Amino acid sequence: MKLLKDVSSSHLNTVDTLTNLSLLHLLQIHDSAFPIGSYTHSYGMETYIQEDRIRTKEHLVEFCQVYLEQNLVYGDAILIQEAFHAAQARNVTRLIELDELCGAMKLAKESRDASVNVGKQFMRTVAPLMDSPFLLQWKDHIDQEVVKGHYAVLYGIYCEALGVNVFHAVMTFMYATISGLVQNAVRAVPFGQNTGVQALHKLLASVEEAAKTVKTLTLDDLANNALGIELASMKHEFLFSRLFIS
Amino acid sequence: MLNQGRVNHFGKLEMAFEPRRGFTRLVHVYQQPPLKASRELYEGNHPTATVFIMESSGGMVAGDRNEISVKLAPDSQVRLKQQSALKIYPSHTGEFCTQAITVELDERARLEWLPEVTIPFERAKFQVDTTIHLKESSTLIWGEIVAPGREMRGEIFDYQAFQSKYKLYVEDSLIAFDSFHFKPQDMNFSTIGLLEKALYIGSLWIVAPQVQHLNIRDLQDRIQLEPSVQASVTKLTDQAIHCRWLAKEQRTLHKEINNMFEYISTLL
Repeated sequence: MKLLKDVSSSHLNTVDTLTNLSLLHLLQIHDSAFPIGSYTHSYGMETYIQEDRIRTKEHLVEFCQVYLEQNLVYGDAILIQEAFHAAQARNVTRLIELDELCGAMKLAKESRDASVNVGKQFMRTVAPLMDSPFLLQWKDHIDQEVVKGHYAVLYGIYCEALGVNVFHAVMTFMYATISGLVQNAVRAVPFGQNTGVQALHKLLASVEEAAKTVKTLTLDDLANNALGIELASMKHEFLFSRLFIS
Repeated sequence: MLNQGRVNHFGKLEMAFEPRRGFTRLVHVYQQPPLKASRELYEGNHPTATVFIMESSGGMVAGDRNEISVKLAPDSQVRLKQQSALKIYPSHTGEFCTQAITVELDERARLEWLPEVTIPFERAKFQVDTTIHLKESSTLIWGEIVAPGREMRGEIFDYQAFQSKYKLYVEDSLIAFDSFHFKPQDMNFSTIGLLEKALYIGSLWIVAPQVQHLNIRDLQDRIQLEPSVQASVTKLTDQAIHCRWLAKEQRTLHKEINNMFEYISTLL
């Protein structure tokens, strides 16, 4: 029998097991009407828009590509994967460490705050929908301020409770993040809706490739090479007028 | 197993400081070449000990390792400065040069680590891990600069790998984890979101109880004086601030980061 490549300290089989119902759950939480406030965050992109550096569809695609490949893949995506495995092992200590690490990696205050605020809003919204004692235990940890409640870690826990596999958990998170950036750019630049649609369509293959890359990564690979984006996130706090919180 | 015709350097430097009779003294030092510490220097009657860290081999070669450990007892005040830029030579064997820096600051201790440049030469492979543990009452001002290579020789991002992991703990809570892993052959640094037009990276880490009284907007106004430099300030916690610069020129960056360093130093 062929052994699967060990890609994590807590190795799991990631064969596709996306059921119709869990697919529908994922579609629901990533619907733009799902109230977790994604539309209020640009994660530094607004700084580039105000500096007139994202003016065309090509600029937007390039920005999203870098955000995907140099920020998400080596940051939140690894943390989702690790949180998923830790949730599967019911390893709360590990999850607490991951939550701390997630906050420590986000040096820009606004991005760090956004991660916590979206996470808390997500928990408030999904907790009544889920029959998962483990997820509720994590909610207690957030409520009692044992952890900050960063979105990526929570998303890993939620997807594990939902019964989707870790690959789809990572891929849908990255898709939703990039989709959110595109939609926010459509409003802020502004672009026509079709430009946004075409930009996102162009990025889909990259999202899938990025998710495949994440499968090969562990916590040792955590990195933030997108220093320009990080700096833009830091500078966003000091912009004169802003459409977005981050 | 080593496959090179030279003995790798394993530089070790352990330093422990504590206050004695009104001055901070280097009460314990263990040094293994090529690392070496100067004796303490003082400015007048100021209790702060200034110590230079020297690397006598002229740079790190593939397989070399440096380990630097710094401990400050309660109420110690120390300024550490590398005597020169850290040069990372080409890796002919494929091995990494590695450096580990560990720092522990006890109650009310104060450490200033002045910014110096790390220069990875063409085909260099370098990995540095920095771990700093502080108490809530400690003060840290720590600066670093990373060069793209020997720019004047036309070496720009010609190294093979540069990996840096910087961890900052206050009372055992991880408040900052700054990690980058640059592989120039796989990355286009000039693209939007990466280094863009910049070649040099500057970082400053400030942790102190008095940080909560600093006006972050004033610091932001001060950091953005030089138009050719991209820079910003952010709060990590109520007691910690991080400054980042992306710059085209080393000289300008060095001037800017030193100005901010000295300004913060006088405030805290």
